[in-house]
Amino acid sequence: MGPLIPNGIIGEGWDFVIAILIGIAFGFILEAAGFSSSRNLAGVFYGYNFVVLRVFFTALIVAMVGLMYFDYFGWLDLSKIFILPTYVTPMIVGGVIMGLGFILGGYCPGTSFTGIAIGKLDALFFTIGLYVGIFGFSLAFPLFEGFYDSGALGNVTLTDVTGIPASYFALAFTIVALAAFWGTMVIEKRVRKNMKQYKF
Amino acid sequence: MNRNYIFLTILMIILAAGTVFLTMDSEPKQIEPEELLQEIIQPTRYVSTDQVAKMIIQGDPSLMLVDVRSEEEFAKYSLPRSINIPIKNLLSDGNLGYFGVPGTKVVFISDDDIKADQMWVFVKRLGFGSTYVMKGGLNCWMQTIIDPERPSDDAPYKDFETYTFRKGAQMYFTGAGADVPDASKIDVLVRRREKTNIASGGC
Repeated sequence: MGPLIPNGIIGEGWDFVIAILIGIAFGFILEAAGFSSSRNLAGVFYGYNFVVLRVFFTALIVAMVGLMYFDYFGWLDLSKIFILPTYVTPMIVGGVIMGLGFILGGYCPGTSFTGIAIGKLDALFFTIGLYVGIFGFSLAFPLFEGFYDSGALGNVTLTDVTGIPASYFALAFTIVALAAFWGTMVIEKRVRKNMKQYKF
Repeated sequence: MNRNYIFLTILMIILAAGTVFLTMDSEPKQIEPEELLQEIIQPTRYVSTDQVAKMIIQGDPSLMLVDVRSEEEFAKYSLPRSINIPIKNLLSDGNLGYFGVPGTKVVFISDDDIKADQMWVFVKRLGFGSTYVMKGGLNCWMQTIIDPERPSDDAPYKDFETYTFRKGAQMYFTGAGADVPDASKIDVLVRRREKTNIASGGC
């Protein structure tokens, strides 16, 4: 049956409407999970609040395992799903820059908008910085265009690269995620004991 | 500890472990139904017994004959250089590896064209090209190549040409003796190599 748009079950003109609906749902869940507070987000780095890790890992393993069952039941053809192309080094560098910005500013791009939505000033400044950064990157793009396109592997999955079936990765990721949930709970408790002034 | 967390953790582990037992990609890739229908209505997939005989005699290396009858029938009689893939064995024993080889023409053979046509549809559906069906199957092969019928005397010249070829093919395939018609005189053209004065190498 799925994916719905490539299979023509939903017309192509609907993709922006669906994007808006998913965007609203995503923003609502981010805010509901407490991601509009930069303290919660930065807590991962300082070890007193791992809600980000738990929320994103939960979303990841539920979606991952769910997609595999959908494929098995024939509701979704995984071979027709768009896979983001992989550029190894640029992605690592990008990840480091993103992480640095995350811990410095206390937001990631998506959560900064939920912060604005509930009227946080730091989120507003973060977003202004975000657009300045995009503008600067666009202007300077010719300088690192070569690096930007380097190390292209194409639209590969871990299964394509290693030959190990996707279900083994799903199981391994799930175990790692669940271990992280329980492990971070212990860390949280210890760190919070030594903290005096903190409101969640 | 929250009990819900423990329950959800166990549930997630069971679900993730379950994916290991799912048989993924059990269905082979197939072409779109519309495309298959378009191909089915084309008569271009048929090749005549004469064309097949000609290719066998010439030793055409691109020809691959696939007999789709059962093993017993194949053992009783088969065309030279043909291989046996019964329809029910198409997806087993790596038989699909025979199809889609660049530069080869696969011709399906059965007693008539029905089974060969079925096989053709299956293979086409799996997305392989360059596959053909021998029109009339082995029944037609027997009538035209093994036991060709002499055309009537007022038949067009083309029929006689075909008949001559079939008689030759009959000899090739059965080893039957040639019955040379009395009146026919065959001019044998002897091609001589033209003499050349150009010195071809030497010390």
